Amino acid sequence: MSSVGSLLDALGGFVDLLPVLLIVTPILMAAAPVALGLRFDRTGWTVAAITAVGLVSGALALAAEVYTRGAVIHNLGGYPRTYGIELVADEFSTAIIVLVATISAGVLAYTRRGGPRGNTFYSAYLLLTGGLLGISLTGDVFNLFVFLEISSLATYALIASGDGPESAVAALKYLILGTIGASIYLTGVAFLFMATGTLNMAELALAIPGAEAQVLVRAAFAFIFVGFALKVAQWPLHTWQPSAYQHAPDGVTPLVAALVSTASAYALGRVMYTVFGPDFLTSTPYLTEIVVTVGTVSILAGSTLAVIQRDVKRMLAFSSVSQFGLIVAAYGLVNETAFVGATIHLVGHGLMKAGLFAAVGLVSVSYGARTVDEYAGLATNRPVAAGATAALLIALVGVPPAVGFVGKWYIGLGAVRAEQWPVAVVIFLSTMLTLAYTARLLEKMYFTPASPLEAAHPSEPVAADGGDGAAPLDRGVPGAVSVGMVALVVVAAVGAIALGFAGGAFFELLDPFVSEVFN
Amino acid sequence: MIGPELDVLTLAYPPLLVFAAALLVLVLPRIAGYAVGALSLGAVLVISLTAPEGQHLAGTFLGHFEVVPYYVDDFSRLVGIGLGFLGVCSVVYAYSSEASRELTAIALAYVSSSLGAAFAGDWLVLVFMWELMALTSTLVVWHYGGEAVRAGFRYALFHGTGGVIVLLAVAAHYVEAGTFVYDGSGIAAGFPALLAVIGMGVNVGFVGLHVWLPDTYPRPHIAASVFLSVFTTKTSAFVLYRAFPVGAESDLTIYVAYMGGVMSVYGATFALLQHDMRALLSYHIQAQIGYIVAGIGIGSHLATAGAMSHLFNNILFKSLLFMAVGVVIYRTGEEDLYKLGGLWREMPLTAVGFGLGALSITAIPGFNGYVSKGMIFDAADPGYYGQPEYQALYYLLWLGAIGTLLSFIKLGYYVFFHGESDISVPDAKPGQTVAMFGLGGACLLFGVWWQGLADLAPLIEEGTHAFEYYGGESHLHPYSASHLETAGILTGVAAVTFVVVRKPLSKLDLSDPARVVFPAGYYLGRWSMLAVTETYAAVDAAVVGFVTRCYWIGNNPVLAVEEAARRVPMVDVDERRPADGGQPSTIYLRTTIGTTVLLLTIVLTVVLWLLVS
Repeated sequence: MSSVGSLLDALGGFVDLLPVLLIVTPILMAAAPVALGLRFDRTGWTVAAITAVGLVSGALALAAEVYTRGAVIHNLGGYPRTYGIELVADEFSTAIIVLVATISAGVLAYTRRGGPRGNTFYSAYLLLTGGLLGISLTGDVFNLFVFLEISSLATYALIASGDGPESAVAALKYLILGTIGASIYLTGVAFLFMATGTLNMAELALAIPGAEAQVLVRAAFAFIFVGFALKVAQWPLHTWQPSAYQHAPDGVTPLVAALVSTASAYALGRVMYTVFGPDFLTSTPYLTEIVVTVGTVSILAGSTLAVIQRDVKRMLAFSSVSQFGLIVAAYGLVNETAFVGATIHLVGHGLMKAGLFAAVGLVSVSYGARTVDEYAGLATNRPVAAGATAALLIALVGVPPAVGFVGKWYIGLGAVRAEQWPVAVVIFLSTMLTLAYTARLLEKMYFTPASPLEAAHPSEPVAADGGDGAAPLDRGVPGAVSVGMVALVVVAAVGAIALGFAGGAFFELLDPFVSEVFN
Repeated sequence: MIGPELDVLTLAYPPLLVFAAALLVLVLPRIAGYAVGALSLGAVLVISLTAPEGQHLAGTFLGHFEVVPYYVDDFSRLVGIGLGFLGVCSVVYAYSSEASRELTAIALAYVSSSLGAAFAGDWLVLVFMWELMALTSTLVVWHYGGEAVRAGFRYALFHGTGGVIVLLAVAAHYVEAGTFVYDGSGIAAGFPALLAVIGMGVNVGFVGLHVWLPDTYPRPHIAASVFLSVFTTKTSAFVLYRAFPVGAESDLTIYVAYMGGVMSVYGATFALLQHDMRALLSYHIQAQIGYIVAGIGIGSHLATAGAMSHLFNNILFKSLLFMAVGVVIYRTGEEDLYKLGGLWREMPLTAVGFGLGALSITAIPGFNGYVSKGMIFDAADPGYYGQPEYQALYYLLWLGAIGTLLSFIKLGYYVFFHGESDISVPDAKPGQTVAMFGLGGACLLFGVWWQGLADLAPLIEEGTHAFEYYGGESHLHPYSASHLETAGILTGVAAVTFVVVRKPLSKLDLSDPARVVFPAGYYLGRWSMLAVTETYAAVDAAVVGFVTRCYWIGNNPVLAVEEAARRVPMVDVDERRPADGGQPSTIYLRTTIGTTVLLLTIVLTVVLWLLVS
């Protein structure tokens, strides 16, 4: 990374342009598959892959710069930030940028063989990536709305591209609710503008403490928080999310699950801590209580709902409700430890969920299993997929040394430091509940022998003799799985465990941002 | 204690001698083995008379617990003399009563542990010997087989429990005192003392804790009864003195004294009601130990001296009585006194032996029981040397004395007089006669030559027979006119009463209410066992049920949710037939877009209201 940085140093001010390039490139390239599709058949993946590689190297270069020399701020067109457009890559946003770039690039390894195929998919894919990077990089609250809408629109399109009417219904539900959520957020932004006369985050941070109409500011926070609560899928506003995750094409779910809600959760944290600031959060009555309550209720409700699901994708979707509840609760604790924990969990959860949903897609293609019961015997028949899935599930529970443990540990520590004992208890409980639903799957994979009768949706004609229990079951299409698909799952599993050792590094890398926010 | 003297003393450690004899009895020819056993006990007698006062064989146990296994003072000397002399007689009696070698070996081991407890100089050795005594005495009972086995179980249960309580008492004492060695002030006050009273109370037969006594002692071999009747209870009474010695101001002693009084009345009363001769004598153990306990409880010099003298005398006459009754049983095979009669013509020697014992135990002037019982009476009587609070105790002891007289008149009358004997039996065997007359002679000796007993008794000045009491100093004078008068009144009352109650008494068959502990213990054990197993089963079923239910919920979440939803009011759950072979596939908990918007509005309203208001 440092060698890349020094190389870029030689290119002078190129680094300053990186934030712009990271957003503009994918959005512009989104047109390419469609345009090239007029003449060539299968250009989408190639275009997306080239762009993704560029984005990953750009993100890494930016990270090298940010984590060695500090934040990179770009004022678009050179206008002052009071009314111009500002892009900010600081320690907090860069973590998300790297996550977005790498996960979206990794997903391409899956979609090459696993689908969905076609140029329109890759256009939407690139648009989504651009929108997510925009959310991460933008320095003003209005552009945040714009990028939220860009990424959301791309997501609706991606979900709707699934087979069958259920995908369309899920996409429509998400479209309506997502738009309402974004509108509520926009209302909050309008209140903020009325109260302070600016939309730039840095300017807002300066203006809010002195704003005369504190009622407007509080109302703005209420709207913004509720809008994000829907976007992040906090209970009871999560209703769009399980259907959207479940009915999205298998290749799309890792992207949506790992990145879209993560970017929204990041944006919530950004607005709460950069725009409103810890002082506002702690001095406003009921504010932290509301945030913590929403988060903890989501933890419990999400986990409980996850336990009773039969469909693995849906189970993991509810798991996301719970895990994002953890992050929102951590935001509500307003201390450094909890905030770092939230960031680590954002990144770690993104990685784990990307791997898990990719694994679900992999299993569904290669083993024909979609429900928990159908996962029976996976370990004997598809040992690699089962092993990687098991590792990711265990990481999700928060067993050390996986990254799931580090995030939960810091959040729990933050809860203890803030003396919010109920939160600490709920975090412990959430681990138990996570164990409850992961254990179901682990038990099925490793301890329940496969039964041919349980193959409810055989994609190939089933060998009906059924007398030869020892032979591998003839279900799914093992040949339809590419090395890339397996690699994505395995790399995610290895990464989830390897990142667990980087807890201290996270703390150091985030330190400049955290100490600036909390002082 | 250095050099050869130490070696001699080590060899002369009485329990070791007797234990060695016990082993020899097993291997030597019968007569030689019994001779060795009798000799070893004779040696104990000699050692008790001659051993220098003080602590011997002192050492440490497990590195840092000081122990004194061999401690000689006036008290242990007296007990040692009594036990040694009795031991010799008992072995002779056992030999001529055709007791097996095994029985005698076990009995000698039992005697050895009893001596160990008597000569113990610290609580640790005491507890060890105490438990050993419980074990060996149980074996003595068991050895007889048959009925004795079940009784032995009950006996073991009692003594095991009592032993554990004493063990706890000793442990608690160590915590308080920091040492196991006797320091002359008894067991530490408070919790240890309370535990000690209860634990030792089992062994000395406190009322309510005495049930093992008449249950166990009538059942084994007649020679075994002789051993049993003496060693456990007398040693235990002596140990009770170690726990509450003279000068130890304990709040408990007055209760102990009154417990002694109640024991004497209770024991004598139920003795009077018995048909079984050895059961009658067993109740008299309780009654006589009652006098000793009362003396220990009163705790004055005279009372303690009386208690120890009575203990010593009791060793002599109680075993003598068991021997005499044993001979009757041995010759006639009959245990029920109402089925006997006129035996004095058939077995005059036995009748004489019995008479000596009976006259002693009933405190007829000229016999040793008169001397020692009189000391306890005087110590309790506020008219002599007693404190006013012992007035009631004095009357209790009086009643006990009358009961004792009555029951021995009854026993003697029905066995040896009362018509003609319808059976013709030989008299006691020579060995039995020797043993009985030895003990009877001693009883008579110490009754007439009371000065000898007084010299042996602790706390009584030798020669002058002076003793201290709270009013100053006084002298023993057992054969004073008032004492003789008291004895005469007692005997007269008892004789008249016997004539009156003889007929109704023979019809009366009242069982000891305290025997309720047997069924109570049985049902308690049974029910607690049932309760434990049932509770375990219930917990097991609950846990298994819970796990099964959890597992079912995990496997059938849809059904579980539907089941739960069905019980919530105002929720309609559609009956839905699963379409995929019995397993419900998908859970239908979908919130519509409209509902979500409603929820969103509610959440926003609540948050706004909270933040803005």
